[in-house]
Amino acid sequence: MLLPIVAAMVLKVIFTPASQGVEITGALIYFTIPMPFMDLPIGESQVNSWLLIISIIFLCLFMTHGIKERPNLKRQYVIEWAVDKVKAMVGESMGEYFAGFASFIAGIMVLSAFSSLMSLVGLFPPTSDINVVAGWAILVFFIITYYKMKCGPVNYLKGFTKPVALLLPINIISEFATPVSMAFRHYGNILSGTVISVLLGAALRTLSAKILGWLPGFLGDIPYLQVGIPAVLSLYFDVFSSLLQAYIFAMLTMMYVSSAFDYDLYSQRQNDKQKKKQKKAAANA
Amino acid sequence: MQTSEIISVNIWQIIISLCNLLIIFVILKKLLFKPIQKMLDKRKNMIDEQYDKAQKAQDDAEAAKAEWDDKMSTADAEAKGIIDSANKRAEKINEKAALEAREKADAIVRQAQVDADLERKKAVDDIKKEIVDVSSCLAEKIIEREIDVDDHRKLIDSFIDKIGEDDDNQ
Repeated sequence: MLLPIVAAMVLKVIFTPASQGVEITGALIYFTIPMPFMDLPIGESQVNSWLLIISIIFLCLFMTHGIKERPNLKRQYVIEWAVDKVKAMVGESMGEYFAGFASFIAGIMVLSAFSSLMSLVGLFPPTSDINVVAGWAILVFFIITYYKMKCGPVNYLKGFTKPVALLLPINIISEFATPVSMAFRHYGNILSGTVISVLLGAALRTLSAKILGWLPGFLGDIPYLQVGIPAVLSLYFDVFSSLLQAYIFAMLTMMYVSSAFDYDLYSQRQNDKQKKKQKKAAANA
Repeated sequence: MQTSEIISVNIWQIIISLCNLLIIFVILKKLLFKPIQKMLDKRKNMIDEQYDKAQKAQDDAEAAKAEWDDKMSTADAEAKGIIDSANKRAEKINEKAALEAREKADAIVRQAQVDADLERKKAVDDIKKEIVDVSSCLAEKIIEREIDVDDHRKLIDSFIDKIGEDDDNQ
């Protein structure tokens, strides 16, 4: 299990020249497509995302392949457990009305977690690109706004003046702060892991050069200290932080969306509408 | 190779990532949640069916048991009746047989008595005849002359009859 990770670490150490020093860069840009407003660079984050989507498609197909009413496959137990958990979580924190959101929340969690976990194999994690996370946050913002609008645009606009009309500007700011904060929280956490990893790598390289540089020939050039220590930190920054951020992002999405929708008001309005229709029909008749 | 800045906002990249999330949502819905939900529904149907089947089987078994119990109780009564009637018949036959046997025995005994009486009478007659013969012979010898045997016989018969009667009376 850990062998590919160690291999990726060793590869990264070998292919990173010692003279590079401390340098933190964004994603590699493979090519650029000219587009209106601004050019679209297709970089590592986009390609990695697409590759991830393809592997998730195959994962889904593999997991749901050959599932039966009477399970005899281990993977069926695993996938049923996972789907059950997500459904239970969505049902608990969003309510019956949003039961259909289970697959969306699962999508957020899977995409976020696997994107972040890509750094484990030495790939560029797409979540450390602000554009990627911002896209998700903006989608969530659209959903929030849609559910707020469901109770009527007037009620939506009225909501900004609650509890006091004086708070109108603050309410507007907080409305737009939601996606921004979500995006920056996720992006910052993942990027900080990368930054710290790079800093630590550079520090360990310098340290090993200072301490073990007396060894003859190429033996002195190998950064020995860089072999084991980053793995421990990677456990926190790559694994724990990745899963935690995915969970937080999904949780916040559920909370914001479910709190945006006032079911009582909505059903009341639907009732009123139906009554009006009936009245109209009665008047016409 | 060229790299982008650490923080470089690009509207197209944002849209691409937004679409990626939507695609993942659709993929998970179609490829993961739908088949699993379908399977769960199927499983639920199957379990319901099995429960129904089990319930039906139990009902059937209970009905069969009740029927059987019913039959058993009637069979018991029937058997009892049959045994009773058989017993009665046997008793009757027994009685009849005993009666017949007694009658037969009685008849035999009576026959035997009759036979014995006859025998006795015959014996008595024989003895009488002997006595007559002997006495007539004796008398012949004594008086040495022929006497009318028939007259004597009559005479002696009457005499012996008297004796016999006396014997009988005694």
